[in-house]
Amino acid sequence: MEKDLQKAYLESLDFKTSSAGKNADTKLWVVASGKGGVGKTFVSSSLGITLSKLGHSVVIIDLDLSGANIHTSLGLAPSHLNVRHFFEGVKGLQELVIPTPHPRLSYVQGFWDSWTPTDFSYSQIQNLIPEMKKLRADYVIVDLGAGALEAHLDLFKAADEKFLITTPEPTSIEKTYRFIEAYMCHSLRENSTPDAYGNMISTLRNHRQRTLEKPFSFRSYLKEQTGINYDFFEALSSAPVRLIVNSARSQSNYDLGHSMKSVCNKYYDLGIDYLSSIDFDNAVWQSVRVREHVLLSQPFTPLAGQFLTTCKQLIDPEELRAVV
Amino acid sequence: MQATSRYNYYEILELTANAPQHEVTAAYERARSTYSGENPAIYTIFSEQEARELLVLIEEAYQVLGNKILRNIYDQRLLSGNASLNDLTYSSIVEASKQVFPEQRAEKTITSYKKNDAFEKEISTQDNWDGSFLKKVREYKQLTSQKISEITKINSYYVTAIENMDPENLPAVVFVRGYVVQIAKALGLDDKKVADSYMKNFKSGLGK
Repeated sequence: MEKDLQKAYLESLDFKTSSAGKNADTKLWVVASGKGGVGKTFVSSSLGITLSKLGHSVVIIDLDLSGANIHTSLGLAPSHLNVRHFFEGVKGLQELVIPTPHPRLSYVQGFWDSWTPTDFSYSQIQNLIPEMKKLRADYVIVDLGAGALEAHLDLFKAADEKFLITTPEPTSIEKTYRFIEAYMCHSLRENSTPDAYGNMISTLRNHRQRTLEKPFSFRSYLKEQTGINYDFFEALSSAPVRLIVNSARSQSNYDLGHSMKSVCNKYYDLGIDYLSSIDFDNAVWQSVRVREHVLLSQPFTPLAGQFLTTCKQLIDPEELRAVV
Repeated sequence: MQATSRYNYYEILELTANAPQHEVTAAYERARSTYSGENPAIYTIFSEQEARELLVLIEEAYQVLGNKILRNIYDQRLLSGNASLNDLTYSSIVEASKQVFPEQRAEKTITSYKKNDAFEKEISTQDNWDGSFLKKVREYKQLTSQKISEITKINSYYVTAIENMDPENLPAVVFVRGYVVQIAKALGLDDKKVADSYMKNFKSGLGK
């Protein structure tokens, strides 16, 4: 075991030479969710594996504060080399990249040996984002923890593709909307005067307590307000949040994504994209038990096909458009 | 969302203005399933009351966009840019469509005719139905063969041919029976009795 780690570490240093010169167009994909346990780690590792199979070099970064487990989902042993070293300033991010047995796929281990509570500071995140963009890979996939923490929202905003995972359960749907709200308010704060922002927050609070006389909608509210730069919705909709409904078991679960998209449109006036629904598959939890990723142990299932379609659609939307 | 404020019907169904008709229907069905019943997607966002109000708007939007004529009028008013909000309401559009296409008189109303008890009795006791008797009943009921054609959607040419029992101008026998049933219904007759008797006569006419 120790030898393997040593070898992996040495390889990580060698890794520098591969796929060099592509720094400029490193794409940052961030996977977030409102609720825990909906499959962020599964989706980020699956996206990573699929992209690497498509011939792109991928680094998955585990930034789950509540505990790292990308390595487990990839079937690897935890490494002492982890993202803590970056935040402590001991190592550069590129030095922390650990290769996996799978071609073109590597990862950065999350906090694993911190016995003290961890948190990101604003400056840490601001340092991290450009470093991630500098990594030698075509795609950098960030697996976040659950919930709308300040740091999560900062990262989410900086992403080239933003993924929001939900399951069809009301608990998850509820938290997904809270995440979207937090994300919008976070973005709005920079685009509005402090007074207007304060007003909006108190109106929202009254709305939540159902003390308003009229039904409330972000959309109509924002159109009426002064001091809030409304245009930024256009920008938010042009790089939309991409919704993924995980563990879908029926047609109604599949339709849920469309419904949520419509609700976001009507209530927030926020255009989100319903990217795909991922079927529930018992093979997923079974393969987690034996610590082998399901897309690697069973590469030709409908599940793998769904990820393949999703990735292809994101990489090259034109290619799929001809199919009607 | 307030039910009183007016939104563009396309916005309500989340469509682009050039969406083809089948997309309108698909969008409507999707919207209806989202905002009616117990869809978990509206949970914590819209109250039941709000969802109901939305549903009213959605139904209204589909009443207009789902109908080619109404949609055309709506599009014209929307694109002209100088239409007032009142011009874009559902009732004003329906009103405008009535001006363009005056409502046709209900087709099925049978024109009044003078009741002749003796002839009524003859009809009810008639066992031997043929083309000429059908014609007699039709004329008695003051219906032209065009009118019968309008009601039954059978070409008036065939209606005449059936009354003349003229197989040369009629399609295959199975279709003839169908036509006779339709005509008998339009004339308010017992269609089974009429068709059976008529076909017997018709086939014997073919046999010679």
